[in-house]
Amino acid sequence: MTVPKAWRFAGPPRAVHQFHPVLAPGDAMSDHVFALRRHLREWGYESHAYAVEAKEGVADVLSYRRLFRVVRPEDMLLLHFSIGHEVFDQLARLRARKVLVYHNVTPPEFFSGVNDHAAVHARLGLRQLAGLASQVDMGVGVSGFDTHDLAEIGFPNTRTVPILIDWSRYDVAPDQSVLAALSSRRTRILFVGRISPNKRQDDLIRMLAYYRACIDPEAQLYLVGSYRDQPQYHARCAALRDALDLSQAVVFTGRVSPAALAAYYRRATVFCSLSEHEGFGVPLLEAMHYGLPVVAHDAGAVGETVGGAGILLARKDLAEAAEACALVAESAELRERLLAAGRRRVADFATEAVAVRTRKALGL
Amino acid sequence: MASPPPAVDEDEILAEIRERIRRKRETGVYGPEVDAALRLPLPGGRPLFSEELGDALPALREAIDEPFEYDPRSRKPVVGLFVTAARRLVMGLLRWWLAAASERQDRIDRLTFRALLDLRERPSPGFDERLRHLEEGWARFRRDLVAADLHSVYFQARFGGDEPVIRRQSERFLELFRGRSRVLDLGSGRGTFLELMRDSGIGAYGVDLDARMIETARSRGLDVREADALEHLRALEPASIDGLYARHLAEHVLPGELVAMLRECRRVLAPGSPVVFVTPDPRTLSVGAHTFWLDPGHVRPIPPDLFRFYLEVEGFEDVDLVTFEPSEGERLREEGDDAARHNARLLNEVLFGDRDYAVIGRTPYQRAP
Repeated sequence: MTVPKAWRFAGPPRAVHQFHPVLAPGDAMSDHVFALRRHLREWGYESHAYAVEAKEGVADVLSYRRLFRVVRPEDMLLLHFSIGHEVFDQLARLRARKVLVYHNVTPPEFFSGVNDHAAVHARLGLRQLAGLASQVDMGVGVSGFDTHDLAEIGFPNTRTVPILIDWSRYDVAPDQSVLAALSSRRTRILFVGRISPNKRQDDLIRMLAYYRACIDPEAQLYLVGSYRDQPQYHARCAALRDALDLSQAVVFTGRVSPAALAAYYRRATVFCSLSEHEGFGVPLLEAMHYGLPVVAHDAGAVGETVGGAGILLARKDLAEAAEACALVAESAELRERLLAAGRRRVADFATEAVAVRTRKALGL
Repeated sequence: MASPPPAVDEDEILAEIRERIRRKRETGVYGPEVDAALRLPLPGGRPLFSEELGDALPALREAIDEPFEYDPRSRKPVVGLFVTAARRLVMGLLRWWLAAASERQDRIDRLTFRALLDLRERPSPGFDERLRHLEEGWARFRRDLVAADLHSVYFQARFGGDEPVIRRQSERFLELFRGRSRVLDLGSGRGTFLELMRDSGIGAYGVDLDARMIETARSRGLDVREADALEHLRALEPASIDGLYARHLAEHVLPGELVAMLRECRRVLAPGSPVVFVTPDPRTLSVGAHTFWLDPGHVRPIPPDLFRFYLEVEGFEDVDLVTFEPSEGERLREEGDDAARHNARLLNEVLFGDRDYAVIGRTPYQRAP
């Protein structure tokens, strides 16, 4: 896997720009873009983040329209792809060194019937991705799972470089009010991620029903993540919670600040993921970073991200998942081993090390 | 990124998890209510499509009749009113075009569904024919393996043992069954053993496959049923018989069937019941190499040590072996010096030793917990 020949003849680029249709604060994708931009600038490249829509709270993002004016053929353009957007087709026609960074598209099967709008978008995204295969010079997957998808779709020149996580961003003091609210000693199962059908928060709620009936009647489930994009699924999960008589036991926090997020991680007993599709799974590493043991259903890129530093469950069995959480909650020895492995795993994704890998992969 | 070796032994953890679940199942903590909670469908609509794909046919049956709705109202302030009005107008204008398209789609969906159901009922052409061919071939093989078409009455007349001899052999086990009330003779044949039981006041009945044999036995007023030995054992209630005798049966079945039979015996015999299996002794060379094979129904000889092992493994106790029925006819003369006599005796034992052996066992007095 080498850098395309044409790039080597034309010398190094002067600018390396990045594009994603939407850039928002606190979103793993956007954080990746900003962290990479910082490093690109450190390495001496002119680098900007471009978007169609910059949500409130992000600064220094330029309109994608400028790209058509500023990009020269020897410049590099990183197209981050996690949703389809018509602008990708326009940008693909630009003369530049184009790299598609693939964060995976949630398959439409997860949305169909719940949120048809999202299903249509996902399907269009996948179709568009297939069209881009012949128009970019390189495809980069943020996990082996994503790279495998790219190769299947027909991207000729692929490689894997993990997401660049700026760990210094997590050095915030935990939110005191959240810490205080969660001061009592009880079992708290935590999952962090958008409320979305592919992440199967409904299974976590059912699992909690088992946990309270068979293990600990006081256990609670915290579902941290925005539910704005999937109001239908969120409403149905809430209805499921009420039907199972868990209104007091399941908490949907919605989107939270980094300080509050740190507090939830600090106060939780175990991080449990029953997600059925993840392109990478940053919260798995965040949990390890905050010293929280991880129990996860092995789906998509979850297994490779956890990398042996958590309990992986190959089969989706809610009773087994609950008992795994209980085991971690009860056994101090098992917990300690998982935490030590978690710290080692997070070190694998150290910001500088991943930045160097990214630089090498892009031939910069 | 290369993954380091796992921090924990996942197989060990999974074993612990499954053990915990098993215990909770047993104690009733993990009962039907929890099961129902774990299976509670997501309220407010159909199950997730990704889940329905796992069992598509029933889902299709429901999805095909699902109404289709579209809410044209826009939530945008001010502009929304116009957007809504515009959408309503377009929908009104296109109504019949869309209705025709959806009618056609509906027709295709229903045809596809019907075709799928039909296909499921009707497997690929010629499937039944091929299956029947295979089944017949297999049944023929099983019959040919033991020359099942030979008439056993004729066979018995030519090679079968002398009834008085068989009765004498059976008498040595009489004491084992004394005082029993429901002894089962598997492969009871002409009913020699059953007759002995009746004469000794022991309750017993037999099972045999051969209709002619059964007829003979019944003509003597014995209780014999026509059934396959293993199937009969399987149909019995636990601890419903208190003794089992099977003469020259074990060498007629496949090793796996014999083990299954022993397992069933263990189940259906009351605690402390005796079992006796009589079979040719292949340690005697004239048996193992010659007479054993006189019966084409014999599948394979069973060395006594193996038979003893089968019984011990299946949980029978006090397992013992006895041999009997010395070979008839000429033997090597044991004469000359000591060494020559010794050698001749050894050879006589190997060549013309006892022709049958019995392996005897007993079910434990206490039921296993």
